[in-house]
Amino acid sequence: MPHLLTTPDAPDPLHRPFLLGRLEELAAWGRRNSLWPFGFGLSCCFVEMATALTSKYDLARFGAEVIRSSPREADVIVIAGTVFAKMAPVVLQLYEQMMAPRWVISMGSCANSGGMYDIYSVVQGVDSFLPVDVYIQGCPPSPDAFMHGIQLLSAAVGAEHRPLSWTIGPQGVYLPAMPVQRDAKREARRAQGELPSPE
Amino acid sequence: MTDVSDIIQRLRWRFPDVELTEQATADEVPTVWVGVEHVRAVLAAARTECPLETLYDLTAIDERARVHRAGQPASDFTVVYHLLSTTCNHELRLKVALHGEEPTLPSVIDLWAGADWYERELWDMFGITVMGHPRLERILLPSWWEGHPLRKEYAARATERPPFVMNDTVRAAQEQALHFDPATLGWARHTEEFDYMFLNVGPHHPSTHGVFRVVLQLDGQEIHDAVCEIGFHHRGAEKMGERQSWHTYIPYTDRVDYLQGVMNNFPYVLAVERLAGIDVPDRAKVIRILLAELFRVISHLVFLGTFAQDLGMMSPVFYLFTDRERAFEIVESVTGARMHPGFFRIGGVAMDLPGGWEAQVRDFIAYMEKRLGEIESTVLANKIFRLRTEGIGVLVSEVALAWGVTGPMLRASGVPWDLRKARPYGGYEQFDFDVPTGCNGDCFDRAQVHVAEMRQSLRIMAQCLRVMPGGSVKADHPLTTPPPRERMLHDIETLIDHFLNVSWGPVIPAGEASVAVEATKGNNSYYLISDGNTMSYRTRIRTPSFAHLQLVPLLARGLTISDLVAVLGSIDFVLADVDR
Repeated sequence: MPHLLTTPDAPDPLHRPFLLGRLEELAAWGRRNSLWPFGFGLSCCFVEMATALTSKYDLARFGAEVIRSSPREADVIVIAGTVFAKMAPVVLQLYEQMMAPRWVISMGSCANSGGMYDIYSVVQGVDSFLPVDVYIQGCPPSPDAFMHGIQLLSAAVGAEHRPLSWTIGPQGVYLPAMPVQRDAKREARRAQGELPSPE
Repeated sequence: MTDVSDIIQRLRWRFPDVELTEQATADEVPTVWVGVEHVRAVLAAARTECPLETLYDLTAIDERARVHRAGQPASDFTVVYHLLSTTCNHELRLKVALHGEEPTLPSVIDLWAGADWYERELWDMFGITVMGHPRLERILLPSWWEGHPLRKEYAARATERPPFVMNDTVRAAQEQALHFDPATLGWARHTEEFDYMFLNVGPHHPSTHGVFRVVLQLDGQEIHDAVCEIGFHHRGAEKMGERQSWHTYIPYTDRVDYLQGVMNNFPYVLAVERLAGIDVPDRAKVIRILLAELFRVISHLVFLGTFAQDLGMMSPVFYLFTDRERAFEIVESVTGARMHPGFFRIGGVAMDLPGGWEAQVRDFIAYMEKRLGEIESTVLANKIFRLRTEGIGVLVSEVALAWGVTGPMLRASGVPWDLRKARPYGGYEQFDFDVPTGCNGDCFDRAQVHVAEMRQSLRIMAQCLRVMPGGSVKADHPLTTPPPRERMLHDIETLIDHFLNVSWGPVIPAGEASVAVEATKGNNSYYLISDGNTMSYRTRIRTPSFAHLQLVPLLARGLTISDLVAVLGSIDFVLADVDR
């Protein structure tokens, strides 16, 4: 993360507020705060994804509200809904049209594993043909769950190391480990004694 | 309800030499069997003389494994025509017995143009060849698919089939299958003066509201012809009914039209209750109506928001989705879920209303009534909105009826057909409300009818608030699933019922019943056949969106591409409701 240094009293322009950091980290910081999603929906989950964009949830807080209608302008594709066998080649083509770096969120039980649709026409998990970065559970996940997914992806994107250019520095892409949230939250959940009454 | 003997008697007089076998069903819809050689003549007469102007549903049953069918003619595959008259408010179910592994049937497209997709579905799902159909291709499954899923021997689960593979060869073949060739439809590539342009819209496009595809034959901006391709959202909901128990199928109904939540449960549980002979207590009835009308408001808000957005208005969708969130607060506190509550149960609802529900509902009604006025002045009165919707996509009532159109789309064309009034179900006869209609049948009227209907829904909700009776929310019946908890903990008989209904599932008596409700988009019905088992023998879901989407080419011809966006937005379809 670049550091913001301020010495407001200094008259010398060199001592005015400036940023100090590595260019590579600045680029990662920019990427993590401007994840533009591809406006792509399959079924029910997409309605909840769209709800996350509206005023009550306001996805703009995380810089991820700029829905792109063209895959070439999008950074992240959210597989929001059931992946059908008839639709699978279309999904794959849309993914391939996205420019790197690109990320995939699998939203909802159907995209994660087929969910309750263990049926002839449904692909049992989009990860059978796409590399998924974040899985969001739920049927459909609430907008809050979707925002949590975006935040997890954003944190991971910020921690990635990517070369600035094909002529600069090492060319490998370093991807941070994505811990399973179930394990991370287990202790806190076990400690929870009582659920609040719905009334 | 119709006088059963009347229609069948009339057909008997008309066809004295044709054998017409009557069948008694649990839903009391006049049901009659006719030989395949006479089916077209009988259907033609029923259409013009009875008159049953609407082909409401057309489906089939694979009878080869069915045990309880006493009194019915022998049959391997039974095709079921469900005819409806909205003007006389009567209906008829006509069954045709087919034999052998490769059955054939004459087409009825010339009688009802809307039979087109239904007959393709017969071929796709059952392998029934419809003779004389101009384009008998697969409709819900891709063209490279093998087998007919609703046949009994077909393996339903994806995990029973070879694993899904996506490699270059498979992909190339599947993409080739999506390739569009105008020659297959007999479309001209050019006239003497100019070349046509072919434009593919979808299966991924903002205006299609999901995954479906329409290919346009264009003369400049003008649409000369169009063809729809559906099936990108086929989740096998009907086949699923044959493997889930009667009780565990309820969550699947939620996801059929994913915008209308519990409204999907409504026809299903009503049909099961009809088969089982369960009478639902009053409190459960009013809770059902309250939630169903709340979901009608929710669904119409999404319709109006997305429709306005399709026409270039940026703000309404944000306002309307915020209103929808307010409705979801009630849904969350009553059911614990948002979009898919699955709250209805066979014999009642899952649980009683929480404390404080009255205040929540009262506040919402007061807020929405004011809000609807704002919606009318900002969206419906907007000049650009009116210019883009008035006189666009006009549907006249005769065409609408012939194509099986129902719901707000039919009422916008001036036909006051509302099942809640025409055939009250689930307690609607006790409520006072109006049926708003339009007069031009254009895109604007459809939007206006939706707004007017929200107002009527709020009226019904206010009455629910006033009259909410006390008492149990579950019927006192052994097939109520699960039985009331306090009784289950109290006496051994209910404990046994609970154990059986939860472990194996309730055994619903053999029979047939179809119950329709006025869902948010039109008439939605579940035609259930029980073979005296813990699972349904055949579950047929008649959805309004399927019938409505068929009309797109008819409405689009002669319009521009931007008008097509208005037409698609105004139809109010959900792809899961089309493809099931």
